[in-house]
This record gives sequence, structure tokens and C-alpha cells, in this order.
Amino acid sequence: MTRDIIALAGRELKQHKRRTFAVISGYALTVAFLIILAAVLLYSRVVQNITIGEAGTYFVTWLPACGDISSLSEEELAKLARGIIPEVCKEKCENCTGCNKKPVDILNEGFVINTNGTRLLTLDLVEKIRALPLIKDASACLMFRFRDPQTNTIFAVGGIDVQSPAVSTNCCAASDLIDGNFLTGSSTGRVLVDIGFAGNHGLKCGSNLVIASETFVVSGIINSGARPVKPDVIMLFADAERVINRRIQNPLENEANLILIESRDATVHGRALEDVKALMKGDSLLTTGCYFPAAKAIGLNTRLIWAFMTLVAVAAMLFSARIQWASVIERRRSFAILKAIGWNNRVIILQQLAETLAQSVAGSLAGLVAGLAVLLLVPVNNLLGIDATMTGVLNPGLFAVVVAFAVTAGVLAGLLPVLMVIRQRPADALRRV
Amino acid sequence: MSLLQVENVAKSFFQRGNELKIFSDVSFTVEPGELLLISGRSGTGKSTLLNLLGGLERVSAGRIVFNDRVITDLSMSELAELRANGIGMIFQNFNLIPGWSALENVEAVLMHRGISQSERLQRATAILTELGLGDRLHNLPAELSVGQQQRVAIARTLVNDPAMILADEPTGDVDPETADEILHLLLPRIKSGRTAMIVASHGLFNPALATRTASLKDGKLHL
Ligand SMILES: Nc1ncnc2c1ncn2[C@@H]1O[C@H](COP(=O)(O)OP(=O)(O)OP(=O)(O)O)[C@@H](O)[C@H]1O
Ligand SMILES: [Mg+2]
Repeated sequence: MTRDIIALAGRELKQHKRRTFAVISGYALTVAFLIILAAVLLYSRVVQNITIGEAGTYFVTWLPACGDISSLSEEELAKLARGIIPEVCKEKCENCTGCNKKPVDILNEGFVINTNGTRLLTLDLVEKIRALPLIKDASACLMFRFRDPQTNTIFAVGGIDVQSPAVSTNCCAASDLIDGNFLTGSSTGRVLVDIGFAGNHGLKCGSNLVIASETFVVSGIINSGARPVKPDVIMLFADAERVINRRIQNPLENEANLILIESRDATVHGRALEDVKALMKGDSLLTTGCYFPAAKAIGLNTRLIWAFMTLVAVAAMLFSARIQWASVIERRRSFAILKAIGWNNRVIILQQLAETLAQSVAGSLAGLVAGLAVLLLVPVNNLLGIDATMTGVLNPGLFAVVVAFAVTAGVLAGLLPVLMVIRQRPADALRRV
Repeated sequence: MSLLQVENVAKSFFQRGNELKIFSDVSFTVEPGELLLISGRSGTGKSTLLNLLGGLERVSAGRIVFNDRVITDLSMSELAELRANGIGMIFQNFNLIPGWSALENVEAVLMHRGISQSERLQRATAILTELGLGDRLHNLPAELSVGQQQRVAIARTLVNDPAMILADEPTGDVDPETADEILHLLLPRIKSGRTAMIVASHGLFNPALATRTASLKDGKLHL
């Protein structure tokens, strides 16, 4: 009996080539369209994630300088240089260890983040931040403003751990290099110079640069763009520690003035900021490359995707139901006749099931292939100039859902008219249809 | 026991709450080898009565027994089974499946019953050839004349060798000569006692061919 049903289904589909073709291409178009739409939408989300992720997972924490040093009296400044903390400063001493490490040239030099003065932090704080669950990486950084006694120019020197991921997002990365070589862990005595500073001072790769009487060789010229920490000269942390020590009252001991941080991902970025802030206490500041709303927009986006996917599923169902309904309504009379000549309901249902299943599966698979071909052949990422391939979003689960919904809806829509015919008495069915 | 017993059968239709009485108290019996002609004017309920006998329609009252089975008590699927095996119907409007060839229409009756395709085709071809349609096997109904379509409908009934044939105006749309031909194909099966036939006609059927006649008038069957 099963063989009869399959054979007859095959005969029916073959005999009505045009109808079969129309139905199958209807499914194919529907499925292909929905798959392309869904994939492009998913793709745009991936792209958005990349964009927001790059802009939004890094930040720097630091303690602002104790106050306007120029407001201190000469006597207080002299005391400070000897490590005696003036009363007005005391409330800001939490986490700071820098009172006996003031710059020799306190009016021109000092610890900074870009142009703002900072206090010092102990390195164990870096470890604590790195241990937070929402933090991917934390790295100690020194940034000190020097004055060149010969030319009277002021410039900032950064000391970094070149291997740290937090450094590459917050300060500089090998991809920023315009000329020369990036620093490695063994680049002692070598520096990277910002393109602006290099231009002003006629520095090239291989040039010598004297900082606090120590001579460094320029290893590379960089353009680090819009990053939170932008020293004019970048060197290894140990080198920076050594040259800075020449310019402060007492040497640094496991201290830094900036902590460069990378949160785990954009979706937890906001919470990571709060966690760090809580750990730092007091008047610590965060310098970040992105707004909270951008990170929150991802969550909104996810809900939108779900709404859209539901819409896609419903559309798949409606389109398929529509396609199948039209062809089956046409056949209602045939089913009534078959019933009148003695076919039982089960056979009629199975017959219809075989035909709609064959059409919807064939059509959906054809649509799947067509949709994938379009997605793989049209270089969407090249068109948009985005460094993310489409293949990442070709999600088998999504395709399975689209095909499953299309097939299910087609089969249901195909069976409904048949069930209506079957429920009627044959005499009625024959008269009415 | 008769092949068919009809006992006090009544049929009414309900249309928008109004009862439309077609006939009542219809009783008669049919034996194998009989040809019962039921005549009556258009709209008296001849087709309706045949539908009741074929189980396409439910009675409003009364009982129908066929081959010792009370068909008025059978389920719809049991009735379908009965049409597949014991009762053949020739419809007034033929009810051929338009997308199927003459051969496929006839073959359909034998489908899903464990009969191999080659046997189905062989039996369908034989009966169609017997009815003079040997060269029209692969034509669609629309490509056949009305008389040819009628013969396909008859072939579809005969291919099954039913114990009872219910024929609604079997010669209604053909010239008298062709009508005669068709009847001469049907009559031998009846005379041999293999089959009984009930014919419904509003006048074109030759009463001389019937073994018995009855007429539907004013909601009653007059024997
Ligand atoms: N399902 C139905 N609902 C309501 N009325 C119906 C239904 N089926 C048949 N009738 C009515 O029953 C009456 C008998 O119809 P039927 O088709 O049996 O007549 P008939 O004797 O075969 O006529 P004809 O010679 O023209 O074929 C008609 O008046 C028809 O309108
Ligand atoms: Mg009639």
C-alpha cells in the first residue's frame, strides 16, 4: 500500500508538471528569501558586536593628583619633597603610596595620564583587578611627564608591558606601527615614538633620544589613534621605572600610576566598570573608550533578533500554507470522488501527505541551496568593508528552523482541505465542491 | 434472504432549520439477477435514494440491509469499504477525476487493496476495451465525448465486479443506439445472476429491459 501511495504521488506530481513546478518554486523562493534575510540580519548583529566590542571593552583606572600643587605654600612643598604629607592632602591618601616620591621638578614634571596629574598605585591592586570575574586583563602602566632641560620641551613617557592585551587596546599595538619595529619583551633601551612627536623633533627609526640623561634608540614610529593613554614616547616598564627614578625623590617600589584594563566582553562592560570602581574606592577615575548606552544597545538588539526570527518563522508558515492551500483546494473534488469509489480516509490522507511532503521538502531544500549560494557568492563583507566573513553566521540551526517551519506549514495547509472533505458525508462533498 | 432489503426508509434535508421531506416509508427488496428501474420526475429524490443505498448519505429513518449487513449502522469507513468491494455506483454526472486518464480513473478503484499494478492495469484495460474504449485509454475525461465519459464511469464500476450496481441515469446523455449498446454490456452480468442493478431514470430508460419497475412520486415509492 505504501508503495502504491508513493507511486501515485510521483505520478501526480509528474503529470501536473506546471502545478508541481509552481508549488516547488514557491517553497524555494520563500525559504531562500527568509534564509538570506535572516543571515543578513544575523550578520549585521555580528558586525555590530565587533564594532561595539572593539570600542567598548577597554578602559583605564587611575587616581587624580592630590590637588593643585601650586596652591601649596613653599614650606609645604619642601616638606612634601621630604615625604611629609600636608594636612590638606591626607584625605586622598587611600591606595596612594606616592607622597615621598614627588618629582624633583615638581612644577614641570610628574605622573600623568595624558595631561592630567595622577597619584601612584601599588601593583598588588593590578592583581586584584585582574582577578575580578568580569575582567579579562589588567596591566600596570607608568606615564610620566618629563622636561628636557636643553630644549625646555615637555613630553610624556609611557612604560608598558608589551605582551598585555589590555595595552594593545588602551595604549598601542603592533598594528599602529608606521615605520620600524614594535617593542618586544627584550627591547631594553629602545623606544616607540608617536608620529606627532617624531615630526616635531625630527626623529626617525634609529635616531637617539636622551631622556633624563639616558640615551634610547628609536625602534619604531607609531600612530595610535584615539586611545585613552597616549604617551609621546613608549618604552618597557622597567626602562620607564629606571628613568623616572632619576627624576623623583625616592625610587618606585612595585608602583605604577595607571592600570590598563580589558573587560570580558561588551555585554558585561558596564558591570566591569562598576566592579573596578568599587575596588578602587575613593576618588578614582575611569577613562573609557565607549559609552554605556552602546553596550546596552546589544541587549536590545538581541531581543529584536528574536522578534525578527519569530516573524521569519510565521512568514515561512503563512507563505507555505498559502502555496499548498491553493493547489489542494483545486483537488478537493478529486478526493471526494475517491472517497465515493471506496478509498478510505486513511489512504486519502496518506496520499495527500506524500504529495505535500514531497513538494515542500524538495522546494525547501532547493530554496536552502539557492539561499546559501547567494550568501556565499555575494561578497557582503567586501561590499561593506567589514572584517568578518559571512560564513560565521551560516547557522545550521537557523536553516533547519526555516525549513522545518515551511514543511510543517505546507503539510498542515495541504491536509486541512482534505480533512474538510473527509469529515463531510461523501454526497455533500461531491455536491458542494 | 434478499441481496438488498430497504425497510421504511425516509429522508429529509434540513435547510436553515426547515425540514425538507424528500420521501418516507420507502420499502422494497432486490434479488441477485434483478434490474429494478426507479422512475420519477426530476427532483423527486431518485439520486438521493441511490446515495442512501450506496452509503454516501445517511437515512433519516428506516433500515437498509445489504448482504446481511445493516448498512445504516455502518461507520463511514466501513461504508467506504463496502463501496470498494460490494456496491458499485455510476453517477449521474460521472464524477470522473479530471486530471486522470480513462485508464487511471478505472485503475483507481483497484488501488490500495494489495492488487499489483500490472494486474490493475490489465483488468482496467480489459474492461475499457470491452466497453469500446480500447483506443481511448490514455485520454483525459475532457478529451472524451459525453457518451465515452459515461462508459468510463461504467467501466470503473464493472472492473470491481460488484454484487450490486447503482446507476443514476446511465443512458441519460447518449443517443438511443448507444444507450442500447451500453445496456447490452450491462445486461449479461445481471442475467447471469452475478449482479443486481438499480437504475434511476426520469424516463429515457427502456422499461422493457427492467425486471421490475417502481416510481417515486409525492414522497412515496410506488411499486
Ligand atoms: N444536501 C441537500 N440539501 C438540501 N436539499 C437537497 C440536498 N440534496 C438533495 N436535495 C433536494 O432533494 C431533492 C431531490 O434531489 P435528487 O437529486 O435526489 O433528485 P432527482 O430525483 O435525482 O432529480 P433528477 O432527475 O433531476 O436527477 C431536490 O429537491 C434537491 O433539491
Ligand atoms: Mg438525479
